[in-house]
Amino acid sequence: MATVEISNLKKSYGAVAVMHGVDVPIKDGEFVILVGPSGCGKSTLLRMIAGLESVTSGEISIDGRRVNELEPKDRDIAMVFQNYALYPQMTVAQNMGFALELAGRPKAEIKAEVDKAAEILSLTQLLDRKPAQLSGGQRQRVAMGRAIVRHPKVFLFDEPLSNLDAKLRVKMRAEIKALHQRLKSTIVYVTHDQIEAMTMADKIVVMNGGRVEQIGSPLELYDHPNNLFVATFMGSPAMNILPAKVTETGISVAGLTLLPGNPDAPVGTEISYGIRPDDIVIGGEGAVPVEVQVVEPTGAETHITGLLAGIEITIVSKERLSVRPGEILMVGLASTRSHVFEKASGRRIPTEPNF
Amino acid sequence: MSKTRPSLRPSLQGYVLLGPALIVYLLFAVYPMIDVIRMSFSSWNGLSPQAKFVGIANYRAILTQDPVFWGALWNTLIWTSAAVIIPNLIAFGVALALNQNIPGRSGLRIVFYLPVIIASIAVATIWKWMYDPFFGLFNGLLTSWGLTGLIMDWLGDKTVALWSVFVAHVWQSVGFSMVLFLAGLQSVSTTLIEAARIDGAGRWGVFRYVTLPALVPTITVVFVLSLINSLKAFDIVYGMTGGGPAQSTQMLAMWAYTQSMQLGVFGRGAAVSVVLLLITLIVVIPYMRWMFKREDMGR
Repeated sequence: MATVEISNLKKSYGAVAVMHGVDVPIKDGEFVILVGPSGCGKSTLLRMIAGLESVTSGEISIDGRRVNELEPKDRDIAMVFQNYALYPQMTVAQNMGFALELAGRPKAEIKAEVDKAAEILSLTQLLDRKPAQLSGGQRQRVAMGRAIVRHPKVFLFDEPLSNLDAKLRVKMRAEIKALHQRLKSTIVYVTHDQIEAMTMADKIVVMNGGRVEQIGSPLELYDHPNNLFVATFMGSPAMNILPAKVTETGISVAGLTLLPGNPDAPVGTEISYGIRPDDIVIGGEGAVPVEVQVVEPTGAETHITGLLAGIEITIVSKERLSVRPGEILMVGLASTRSHVFEKASGRRIPTEPNF
Repeated sequence: MSKTRPSLRPSLQGYVLLGPALIVYLLFAVYPMIDVIRMSFSSWNGLSPQAKFVGIANYRAILTQDPVFWGALWNTLIWTSAAVIIPNLIAFGVALALNQNIPGRSGLRIVFYLPVIIASIAVATIWKWMYDPFFGLFNGLLTSWGLTGLIMDWLGDKTVALWSVFVAHVWQSVGFSMVLFLAGLQSVSTTLIEAARIDGAGRWGVFRYVTLPALVPTITVVFVLSLINSLKAFDIVYGMTGGGPAQSTQMLAMWAYTQSMQLGVFGRGAAVSVVLLLITLIVVIPYMRWMFKREDMGR
C-alpha cells in the first residue's frame, strides 16, 4: 500500500509531445481511474507508472521514492493487462506464483500465497489448468491473482474488462470493487468506459489530448464538470449542449426560451447551456417544442432523440411515453442542475440560478 | 438479370479444385515412390525391355558387398546431424539480432536471405571457385595474411572435403531458417514480454519463459524441415565434389543416382533409395502425428 505522486509529467516521442505536464496525486489505498477517449494518454500514463515507457520529464514517485529510472520489476507494482498476458505453457498456479519464483521465494511460501489468492478469486478448482482451458472471465481472474500474490504497493489495471462480454463485465466490475475493499490497496485503473469509472472509482482523472481535464470523485465530476469536455464525457447518454446567450434577465436558450439564471458573464455573451437528458422535464411551464426522431424504450426509461430548433437533443424520461417519430413533444429546459460554459474555451461559468 | 445457378455441393467442389494438383502428385510423387520399391526387387540395366525379379538380392548386395554404401550412409548421418544443428543455431542467433530495432535491418534481412534464392548448383559453382587450391579466394586470403601453413586443397583432401561442402551448405541454408525464426519471433506477444518484465524477469528470464516457449512450434518445423532437407542432400555435393575424393563426400541420395544413372544398375540404385525412404519415414511419421495432435488440441 502506498501513495503515488505524479508531478508535471511530460512525454514526447521525438518531436511529438503526447503528454503535456500531468499532475495526479494518489492517496494510499485509493482506487483511481484514468478515463478518456482513445489517444488521450491514459494508457501511456499507466505504462509510465509501470516503467514500460520512459519519462521525458517530470517525476513519478511511489511511496515517496522517485521511480523514474527504476526497472518495472524494482517498482513494486503489479499490472493486469487487457489481454490477460498469461504464460500459455504454465498452469494457473505457475502463472500466479511466477513472480515469487523469480524472486527466489521458498516453494512452501509460494504455494501458500497462491492458494490464498486462489481462494479469494475462487480459482482453487482451476489451479492445474492451462490458460487455454479457461474462459475469458477466469483468465482475467488469474491475471488478478498473479498481481495479488505479490502484495505490491500499487496495482495497475489496463482496460482489464474490455475483452469481456457485457454481462461478465458488470460482474467483474463488482468483483474488482469488492477486491479493493478487501485488500485496501492503491489501484490505478485505465478505462475508456465512463460507466466503469463512475461505478468503481474513489477518484476519477479525466484526460484528453495528453492533459488532465479534471480530477474528482465520480459524483463531483458528474454534478460539477469543470468544462464542456468533462460535461459531455461523463454520463450516458451525454449531456445536451445548446447554444445560448446571456440576457439581462437570464439565459436565452436556442432563441426559444428564457431561463432564469445569473451567469458570471456580460450581457450578450454567447454561451453553451448544458442540461443532462434526465433533467429535462416533459411539458410544464415555458416548454419548448421538440420534433421527435427516435424513440428507444429501455424498459426502465424511455430515450428520445429529437430536434430542438434544428439542434439534436436527447431526453430521458422515467415515464413510458407513447410518442412517435415525427410528433412534437413539449419539454422544459429549466433545471437547478444545468450548467453554462464559455462558448470558446468550454470553461464552466459560475452561475447562481434564480429559482 | 442473372439467375442464381445451383452450385456444386461443397465437398464435390473441394475435390474438383483439388483434382489437378492431385493428378500431378499421384503421377510424379506417389507412382515413382511405389515403382522404386518394385524396382528395388528387380534387376534392370535401364535399356532392356524386361526387368527381372531378383527378390532381395539388391539389398543383400548393397548391405554386404557394396563398399561405398556404408560410407555414404555414415556421411549422410554425419551431414544430417550437423545440418540440423549448426545452420539453425546460426539462423536463430541472426534472427534474434535482426529482430532488434537496429538500423538497416531490412537490408540485412535481404542479405542473409539472398543465398536461399540462388540455385544450389550455382552455389556449388561459386564455392568450388572459392575453394580452388591455386586461384581460389580462401587460399589467396591465407597467403596474403601469411598463413601459408593453413593452405589446403579444400575439396581434394578427403579429410576436409565433406566439411568444406558443408560450409557452403550452411551459407546457403541459414537464410531460410532465419526467415522462419523471424516470423516466429514476430508472433511473440509484446504484452507477455511486458508482463514478464513486471513479474521480475530479466533479459534471460524473458527469453527463457516467454520467447522460447512461443517459438517451440517454429523450432520444431525448422528442425524437421532441415532434417528432411539434409537427408536428401544431393545437388550441392554433386556440384562441388561429385562424391569424391575417394567417395569421402558420397551421400545416399547421390549414391542411388550414381548407381542408376551412371553405372546402369537401376535395381541397386532403387534399393539405396528405399533405404533412404525408410530412414526419412522414420523421422517424418512421428512429426506428422505430432502436428496433427497439436492441431486437434489447438483452440
